[in-house]
Amino acid sequence: MRRRLGPAALVIAGGLALASCGGSGSGSASSGSGAGSGETELSVSSAYMPQPVSDEMAAGFFTITNKGGAADELTSVTSDIAGQITVHETAGQAMQEVKSLKVPAHGELVLSSGGNHLMFERLKRKPKEGQTVSVELRFAHSGPVKIEMPVKSATYTPKTGH
Amino acid sequence: MRTKTFAAAALLAAASLTLTACGSGGDSDKPVTVVSEQAGSDKAATVLDQPFEKPDLVLTDTHGKKYDLREETKGKPTLIYFGYTHCPDVCPSTMSNIAVAAKQLPKAEQDKLRVVLVTTDPDRDTPAELGKWLKGIDPRFVGLTGDFATIQAGARTLGIAFDPPRKDKNGKIVSEHGTQVIAFSPKTDGGYVLFDEEAGVDDYTKDLPKILKGEKP
Repeated sequence: MRRRLGPAALVIAGGLALASCGGSGSGSASSGSGAGSGETELSVSSAYMPQPVSDEMAAGFFTITNKGGAADELTSVTSDIAGQITVHETAGQAMQEVKSLKVPAHGELVLSSGGNHLMFERLKRKPKEGQTVSVELRFAHSGPVKIEMPVKSATYTPKTGH
Repeated sequence: MRTKTFAAAALLAAASLTLTACGSGGDSDKPVTVVSEQAGSDKAATVLDQPFEKPDLVLTDTHGKKYDLREETKGKPTLIYFGYTHCPDVCPSTMSNIAVAAKQLPKAEQDKLRVVLVTTDPDRDTPAELGKWLKGIDPRFVGLTGDFATIQAGARTLGIAFDPPRKDKNGKIVSEHGTQVIAFSPKTDGGYVLFDEEAGVDDYTKDLPKILKGEKP
């Protein structure tokens, strides 16, 4: 997965400083983690969008890994391709919108077919296999993360099982 | 704003070991989802000892015409799925998996196969909506809509249950889809193979030639 690098390098150093537990106060403002609750450390992998049937609706999947000691929550998602993106979970055979999905500390949040997923609506165009869709993920604590989501075939399934 | 490279993640992973000592791991978080491993391709299809009778459904097809399922698919290898078109996940991939596999069959065989999507959301899935959606997958597929209670009762005879669409607190409609595709034999018209949600293109590609002959995959 490719990510846009913003002011990344500097912030990394900040993160390491923070890891030394003691002098939190000075931490980088950008971390967004609540004081005293450790740090969130998010990375996104295995992102993809199956080529949708129409320009009305599409799904998106990825795995967010949190190597930090603090939990976070995926709260909202935006993309220039869709008028609306909502976060859904699958409960039984129904897919319903949820306000947020938890990213556990030292754990992962998996969005995969048949389970949690993003629902893209009011698409500006129909994404086609081979294209990429820019998506920005926002969290309760961490700063936003931009990802480039490749559009795969309608029948694509990731090999890793996620 | 914080964005990271993988290298950074690796470094920080080490750092986070220190952090854990700082307590506050907090609540016993467990992953929100448990993702089952991809089933081996031999597990996606289950052959039933006791086949299902084809449901006696008379519904409306994508051209707005009456479609008697038993009559129209008699003696034809038939796959039936219950889903809906305002469905971002599962429904489109299920139908697309079948479509891709079906295209690999010899032309004459393709013409025999009937793939039927029965909507679980008939209010929104009008014949026109269903037709438009299926055209994006395979225009030969049959889409059926009609009275919800009739559809639900028909599905129940196949052991497939779903609730009527409901509105969530934001007023958005939440529909349900079936979890299985049932294959009916051209020889007996009995529903004798179940494909679960894990079934992918390869599973259908492997099994469809057998189903076209009414043989066990």
